[in-house]
Amino acid sequence: MTTLLIAAAKAPVIDYKGISPLFAVAGGAVIVLMAALIRGRFAQRVLVPFLTVGALGAAIGLSIWNWHTGDSRPIVEGALAIDPLALGLSLLFYITGLATVAFAWRSRALRESGTGEFFGLMLGSIAGMTILGSAENLITLFVGIELLSIPLYVMCASDVRRETSLESGLKYLVIGSVGSATLLYGLALIYGATGHTGFAEINNAIGNSVNLTDPLLLTGIALAAAGLAFKASVAPFHAWTPDVYEGAPTPVTAFMAVATKTAAFAVILRFFLEALVSAQEQWAPALAALAVITIIVGNVGAIAQNSLKRMLAWSGVAQAGYMLAGVVVGTQLGLQATAFYLAMYLFMNLAAFGVVIARERVSEHGDGLKSLEGLGSASPLLAWPMTIAMLSLAGFPATAGFIGKFYLISAAVDGNWAWLGVMIVVGSMLSLVYYLRVIAVMWMTPLKIELPGRPRRARREVQPVAGWSPEADPRAQPEVLLVTLIMAAATIFFGIVPSPLFHLAHDVGTSISALFS
Amino acid sequence: MLKSYFPVVIFILLGAGVGTAFTLLNNVLGPRRPNPVKREPYECGLPSEVKRNFRFGISFYLIAMLFILFDIEVIFLYPVAIQLKALGTFALVETVVFIALLLVGFVFVWRRGALEWR
Repeated sequence: MTTLLIAAAKAPVIDYKGISPLFAVAGGAVIVLMAALIRGRFAQRVLVPFLTVGALGAAIGLSIWNWHTGDSRPIVEGALAIDPLALGLSLLFYITGLATVAFAWRSRALRESGTGEFFGLMLGSIAGMTILGSAENLITLFVGIELLSIPLYVMCASDVRRETSLESGLKYLVIGSVGSATLLYGLALIYGATGHTGFAEINNAIGNSVNLTDPLLLTGIALAAAGLAFKASVAPFHAWTPDVYEGAPTPVTAFMAVATKTAAFAVILRFFLEALVSAQEQWAPALAALAVITIIVGNVGAIAQNSLKRMLAWSGVAQAGYMLAGVVVGTQLGLQATAFYLAMYLFMNLAAFGVVIARERVSEHGDGLKSLEGLGSASPLLAWPMTIAMLSLAGFPATAGFIGKFYLISAAVDGNWAWLGVMIVVGSMLSLVYYLRVIAVMWMTPLKIELPGRPRRARREVQPVAGWSPEADPRAQPEVLLVTLIMAAATIFFGIVPSPLFHLAHDVGTSISALFS
Repeated sequence: MLKSYFPVVIFILLGAGVGTAFTLLNNVLGPRRPNPVKREPYECGLPSEVKRNFRFGISFYLIAMLFILFDIEVIFLYPVAIQLKALGTFALVETVVFIALLLVGFVFVWRRGALEWR
């Protein structure tokens, strides 16, 4: 037995081409950390962010180089899958990382915690997400989720002199650990029931060597689902989300809201549709119930919020419910729709967070809803992206959110889960209450004072309460404005011309061959 | 199938038994000559009475945590060192990568001044 194990450990076949994107981000984290030791303004302000962008750009390039359609054999002794699902969703992580570099560049969290530390942690977290998105094995899954979470706990607390940031980091640490422990317990029970850690082997064992109603297996699935629900902030495991999102530095919140959620859904998709698809009749009703609760709780919770970050957190909970519906369906179409929605989710959320970041730096109301008062006339370049993001999140036609929801609903109806599709529509209707309120605040608050000649070229009228200062001009933070505008433009573009992303989603749909039957 | 869990049962019983025995026997057999200093709870030689303005040097935590980090390294190196001939070149390369990563951490910690006593 021992000799066998050693012989197996001797020569693991590693496909270096396949894991090259992972090497790019993980190696980038190390290089960034070392570059941070160079003293001087240039290294801190320019070199380190540049290296971070370089690492992410390399990872994007390598992912595209690896792109192929169809299911493929897992690499590194069955630990990681390099298929369109993994590659496509990793692209989303890398794009979010790039946006976070821009968002964080002038933030106080970066000055407080150090540029190298912040970006090093971010790259480490992205490496964890990459592993998580391609996990083919219970062990790899857990390693990925820890590598994702631990840097995030620190990033939440990176504004070290602000108490709320520390509080948010601590809360996330405690609740995240509970989630990880629950997940690990569930994974252990699944391993105990099936005797395998590989996803494909587990799927083969269920229904053959393990009874479908085996209590050990069912308890394992339930615990693992609860653990993953913590990470994806699915109700009733969402209670940490508004607090942590509000307290964390806003660039980190944007990163968490988009990348972490995408990673959580990447692993939910892979875990349920690849490892547990033969037990679908057991978990689908439970996940459907979670989806419904999440849609209702998220949308109702968001209505009463005055802080934009809290509102976006609750809205993220509701969006998680919509995407969970795509998982419940358990078909190829459901997989495509969820992956497609995740991409849309990235564009509209980053646009919204970009505006929040730009406003919060200058407004005396911080991230409060009031910080947007009169924004429509004070700086339309910020008001338009926010408007587009809100309309898209609510699912208005001609925006990306509409196509995404349409795709999800059609997948639900196609898989005989029509009532879940109805729930998505009901949820979107509820969500109009708070999304439209943001738009109303921006465009429908009256102007009160006129500022003579500042900014120089244009005479502008703003509300006294918005607190005008030279930095209030969006042109003072061009990188945030640029990312916001790009994301808003993408939201509109893919709302009108969704076919390029449809093709990608179709490729992603081919990556789990167990769904073809 | 269930038979293979038998050692687990024995382990639980043994653990519970030994723990209970030590707790009880200590009370029954141990000599009891209390004095105020002895009765006071303490941890690691420090008085456990913590006042509100009590401050504990952060350096203690830093050094202790770094010590544990680099201590764990040895635990991973030891089995590889013993089985290196059986495991071959791949294990050696992996170990070198592992040490290199830890070295990066060490350089970082050192240059950032975490090892200086403040």
